[in-house]
Order: sequence, then C-alpha cells, then structure tokens
Amino acid sequence: MLNNPTINSTISLPKTEFDTLLAALRELGYQTIGPRVRDESIIYTHIEKLSDLPQGYTSKQGPATFRLVKSNHRRYFDVIPGAQSWKQFLFPPRTHLFTVEKVERWDIQPNAEKPPRYAFIGVRGCELAAIEIQDRAFLRADFHDPVYRARREGLFILAVNCLHPAGTCFCASMGTGPKVQGGYDLCLTELEDTFLIEIGSELGRDVISRCQYEPASGFLQSAAAKGLERAAGDMGRHLSLDDLPSLLTDNLELEHWDEVGKRCLSCANCTQVCPTCFCWDATDHTDLLAHSTRRERVWDSCFNPQYSYVFGGNTRPTIKSRYRQWLTHKLGAWKEQYDTFGCTGCGRCITWCPVGIDLTEEIAALRKEAQA
Amino acid sequence: MTALPHTAVNPDQLLYPYWAEITQIKPETEGVGSIWLRFEDPAIRESYRFLPGQFNMLYLPGYGEAAISISSDPQDTKGMVGHTIRFVGNVTKAISRLKAGDVIGLRGPFGSAWPMDEIEGRDVVIASGGIGLAPLRPAIYHILHNRQKYGKVLLIYGARTPKDLLYPYEYEQWRAGGIDVQITVDRADETWDGQVGVVPMLFYRFRLDHQKSVVLTCGPEIMIRFVIYEGLARRIPAERIYVSLERNMKCGQGSCGHCQIGPYFICKDGPVFRFDALEKFFNVEEY
Amino acid sequence: MAADPEVVSALKNIPWFAELKPEHFNRMAEAATMRHVRAGEELFKEGDKEDCFYVVIEGRVALDIFVPHRGKVRIYTAEPMDLIGWSVATPVVRHRTASATVVQAGRLVGFEAEKIRQMSEEDHDFGYIFMRRIANIIAGRLMVTRLQLLDMFAEPNAETRHAQ
Repeated sequence: MLNNPTINSTISLPKTEFDTLLAALRELGYQTIGPRVRDESIIYTHIEKLSDLPQGYTSKQGPATFRLVKSNHRRYFDVIPGAQSWKQFLFPPRTHLFTVEKVERWDIQPNAEKPPRYAFIGVRGCELAAIEIQDRAFLRADFHDPVYRARREGLFILAVNCLHPAGTCFCASMGTGPKVQGGYDLCLTELEDTFLIEIGSELGRDVISRCQYEPASGFLQSAAAKGLERAAGDMGRHLSLDDLPSLLTDNLELEHWDEVGKRCLSCANCTQVCPTCFCWDATDHTDLLAHSTRRERVWDSCFNPQYSYVFGGNTRPTIKSRYRQWLTHKLGAWKEQYDTFGCTGCGRCITWCPVGIDLTEEIAALRKEAQA
Repeated sequence: MTALPHTAVNPDQLLYPYWAEITQIKPETEGVGSIWLRFEDPAIRESYRFLPGQFNMLYLPGYGEAAISISSDPQDTKGMVGHTIRFVGNVTKAISRLKAGDVIGLRGPFGSAWPMDEIEGRDVVIASGGIGLAPLRPAIYHILHNRQKYGKVLLIYGARTPKDLLYPYEYEQWRAGGIDVQITVDRADETWDGQVGVVPMLFYRFRLDHQKSVVLTCGPEIMIRFVIYEGLARRIPAERIYVSLERNMKCGQGSCGHCQIGPYFICKDGPVFRFDALEKFFNVEEY
Repeated sequence: MAADPEVVSALKNIPWFAELKPEHFNRMAEAATMRHVRAGEELFKEGDKEDCFYVVIEGRVALDIFVPHRGKVRIYTAEPMDLIGWSVATPVVRHRTASATVVQAGRLVGFEAEKIRQMSEEDHDFGYIFMRRIANIIAGRLMVTRLQLLDMFAEPNAETRHAQ
C-alpha cells in the first residue's frame, strides 16, 4: 500500500477492496446508494457491498424499449441505468415542507427533519452533468432551494466512466460523457480485475486512504483511455448542436410540431425520468377538521394540463403546444436561462417514452423543415 | 432585456408565509373584492415595501396559494397592503368567505415593477381593462404623489358593463390630481351616458406625441394585444410599451417552472415586461 | 353658397379636415351645417332614411339598437372627431340601422351626403381621400365590434379550452 494519495492522482483499487470503501463511507456517516436489479430493471437504492451491484448485466435500450440482459462478463458497472436518476434523492418527488396547525391562530412548523447524507455510487458523466444543471436551477445567487441545498451540500459522489453506452445514449454529442467531466469526489473506471480510481477531492482522498489500494500502472491507465475512446464511438444516438438553440426558439410554428403532437400522449414520462427537469408544485393535505395542514412539494410536469392553467383555461391546451414547450425549453430557452442546455444526452426520454418519440429524430426533422 | 425595477426576494425563503390579519374586505364589483392585510409581526409591518406592479402569493392553509397583484398605495402603506381579487378559483373563493380578523399567509412581494423612475418626464398612457386596473393602481398613486415629474397622463380604462368598473369612487380624485381619466364599457343600456367602445379604440381619440409617450398596459391578453397594435400604429416604439402578463405563478422565485414563457419566468422576470422582450413570441398561439 | 364661419372654424380643428386641399375643404364646408344639440335629443332613429352624416365637434352621441325584451342596447358612443352615419358614403341610401341619441350636449356638423358623393364622383382625387377617411372610421368601428363580439371580459367557459 502507498501512503498519501493526492488529489487528481489515479490509483488502482482491487475489486475486493470495494467493500472497504463502502464501509469507510458509512463510517463517515453516509448512506451508500447505487444501482441494483429489481423487477427486471435497474433502480437506485441502498447498497452495502459490491455484490449488491448488477454484476454481469447490460441493458438493451431503444425507443420505448428497455431490456435487462444477463451476460457472461463479470463487470459491475456496465449496465446503463433504468428510468430512475439521482434526481429523486436531491429533489425528492415528494417533500414535506411544513405543517400549519390552527390553535388560536395559524402556527407554522417547518419540516425540521435532517436530510440524510448520501454517497452516490456509480454516477455516470451524463448524470453528473445533470446534477450540475439542476444546481444552476436550485442554487442560484438570488435563490437557494433549501431542500435541494441541504441534500446537495452533504453529497459524496463516486462517478463512473462509461465504457458501454446503450442504444439511446448521446452524451458524446452533448459533451457530458462517456468520460466524466469533473465535479466528483472519486471517479472510477472498471477494468477486468480492478477499479481505476481518480481522486477528485479531499474527501475522496480521505476515503481512499482508508482502503488497501495500489499504484495505477501506465498499462492500466492506457487500457482505460482506450475503453473510453471506443465508448465515445459507440453512441446509439447523435444530436447536432450547431444551430441550437435558435433552431427551436426561432421556429415555433413549424408543421412538424403538429406531427409530433399527434404521436405524443402527454403522459409526462419523459419529464419524470429526465434528470434535469425541475418543475414542481406545492399541495396542501388537510385533516378533516381543517385544523392541521401539511404542505408538500411534488414533481410537476409541463405535460400536465393543470401546469399552465390560469383563470379561464390552460394556456397550452393542446399536446402539440406542450411538447413544443418541453423541447424548446430543454434545448432552447434553457440555454438563455442557465447558460447550458437542459439535456445531457442520457437518453431516458427516448427509452421511456411509451410511443418511442426520439428527440434526436425530432430535432433532425425540425431542422429539415426549417432549412427547406 | 433591460432590467425593470425589482425588490430582493429572501434567497432562503422557499414557501414559508408571513401571517397577516384581514382588516377589511371591501366588495368592489360582482365577484371582485379588495382585502386589506396587516402583518402580525410588527417588524414585517415596518419593513415591508413593494413597488407598483408587483404581486404577493396569498396562502390559505388547506386551499393553497394564489398570485394576487398588489393594488394599494406603495408610499402610504400605514402598515397595510391591499389586494383586489377576482373570486374565481378554489383559493380565491375560499378567501372571499373570510371576514375581518381572520388570518391568511402572504409571501412577497415578487416580480418586476412598472418603470416609474425611468418614465419620468414622459407622457404616460395607462391602458387597462377589467381587473387589470388593480396592478396599475399603485402606479396611478405613484403618479399622483409625483405628478410634476410626468407629462400628460391619460388613463384609459374599460370594463364589460358599467357595473363592472373597478374603483369608480376614485376617478374624481384621480382627475383632480391631474390625470385624464377616460372610461369606456363594452356594453350598456340607455341609462349609461359614458362611453361605449373598447379600450384600444380610445387610442383613436387622442393625439399622442409618439416621441414622448409611454404605454403601460394590463388586462385580458386579447385587449393587451390590441392596445399594442394601436400603440405601434401610432409609432410608439416597442421599447416604450410595458405590459403586465398573467401566467400560472406558483413559487414566485422562478423555480417551479409553471409561469414560463420563452426564456422568462413571469414571476421573476415579469410580470411587467418591456414589449420588445416579448415581441418574438407574443403572437405564437398556445406558446 | 358661402360656408358657415362656425362650421369652418370647427372643421379646421380636426386634423383630417385641416389636411384637405383648400378647394376640397371649402366645398365640404359648403355642404355642411352646424347643429347645436342638447342631451336627450334624438338625432335619428333606427329605420329612418336620411341622407346625411355627422362629425362630432363637442359632446357625445350614442348609437342604440332596440332589441325586444332587452330594451335599447347601447352599442357605441361617438366622441369629438368621430363620424356617425358613415354608410351614406356608399351609393345605396340605407335605412338607419341604429338610433343616435345625444347623451352629452355639444355641437355636430351635419353633411349633405348627396353633395359629398357627387364631389367624389366628379373628382376622384377627393373621392379617394374621403373614402380613405371613411375606411379608417370603419376599421376602428369594426375593431370595436370584434372585441365586443369576443366578449373579452366574460367568464370563460371552463369546458371549452380547459384540459386535454
């Protein structure tokens, strides 16, 4: 074992040592969350040991298609995840904000529950980019979302370089992967017998120093680099960004919007699986005597008819108008709002769309019409 | 986009309201009333300030929140803030059943304001319809307090029928304060000897100096569109037309997403916009 | 026939008249009469067939249509510089489709429509300018009518454009 690993250095962690790493994180007070097989899909949930991870699996993905495939390989991080993203932990689908009790007067009791400190195990480039996009929405200079901030500030991120992208992936187009672009505590590349780990923070250095690690040889490092290069060429999808965002923001009245509006079911799946979608609503839940009201925050979606309701009706009454809002926000107006696109190329909206609408194809079709 | 005046929002305040006691509910027109609120916390009562055109989120536990523009005098608050509400939704209907002494929650003020300082020295055309007069009334009060700072001031206001006109009891005072108040209704019977017509039509009747005039407008979106057409037709540039828009405002902080139009969150970047910022998509249907 | 000096000075204050060539202005003024009207006075009644139009100088004139069971519905009011009775600019002299009642006392200039039509026929340059003015009046009136038709302040029908 070496002493004093340094930040930005790369070490090799034998796979047998991974449980030590997880235990070290738990010792530091983290809940370790990672991918796990459940109900023929992959979910993000509590993991305790390396064997909880989906060893030997890959996922076959296409428009409206997700299949978990058991292969012969022995790798743990090869499966491109399912519908869930890390969003659910930082921006929970349902949060208790406060309770109002009426005694003599209204009395407000904020939710004092301390959020858990999470260690995310296996965050891909596209997913880490998504977290950083949500940071811009929830941690603005003029507004810090207290729910998000409390979870985000205590977060430990073990990222993973992606060596086997799936059929709906296009992170290379979006510049978010397959190699993780920074923002992690540790970043792992899985080789056959070992994990190559890059140390990204003081915290990451501390965690690694509690494990039995080895130096990363030049051979291992070049094997990882080659794998990443191959992965960049293996993307199932491609999206050209040349004329974005103006292609969308300047072409709100193309006929293709009507065409895609006919296929879209407005089911909101794409916004629920999207790791960057941030829209929310607040709702009151009251006891029958109306003495106690619990105010909660829940995810909302621009595909819900109530979303754009004002007195007198819905300002986006047609599915076409809602799909247009979604796409022109993601790859259009988002850029002006947050100086980034609202898409990282993770492909979830394609995989989990029940009718297989593929935004890379829709953008291409819109482009074709706009240029005609 | 040029920045319109704002007040700072507490960056850590998510959805926690201040509590305020209803001091008065004043019926205005059919289905519309004004409620006056006084903060329970004396410190808030002392520190609370708003700008003309801003709105608050009013909260009734168990029912939820509604975005309501502030309709009272920004200068002379006496520790109170007034809102004129159309009682149409779940929340506002529940508010209409409250009485003086009841307490509701309030968050705010939110959003951009009418550019009262920037338009000093100009002729001001205030074009509004229906309940759209409510967010403009603080601007009217501001002008009355500072009348010498503005050129000609013309208020053109329309409602559906004579009994739907808001604040009729104040028009004489406004006229006495140096505002040319022009009232019109869409429909009337023979007992009404005022004007019958629509707000944009009033642009036909006044010789506006397009070099000097600014337009502030709020009302039904269709009325706003026609006011803009008439303003532009009289060579008042888009940069001097200000509109206040309504969308589904929920969080007031540009976070929840509901009130977006194009790159803007109406609750944070609006509700008041300079029209050139909206021109590109204002006529796109269902955008 | 010389024009009434009161008519001449009133028309000179109206931008559109002031912009006319002197020759056209004079001929129009010669075809005009000043009317001093008091509140409540009926200018014309729905169904009348009178061949003239009016320019409001001061006061307010309301156009009402009588609807059985609803009484008189006030559909428009004309203010200074406005023109009422514009349909006589067309060759067909129609029955008045609304009654005109003075609601605020003032002064109106009435024009003999036949003379103005004749002028327009003889001198198309004048006719063009006159009809352009009438077109502007109609455009304004149509805008008002459309917005009234939209009933923009009405309670929207929740069922029509709500959810999908």
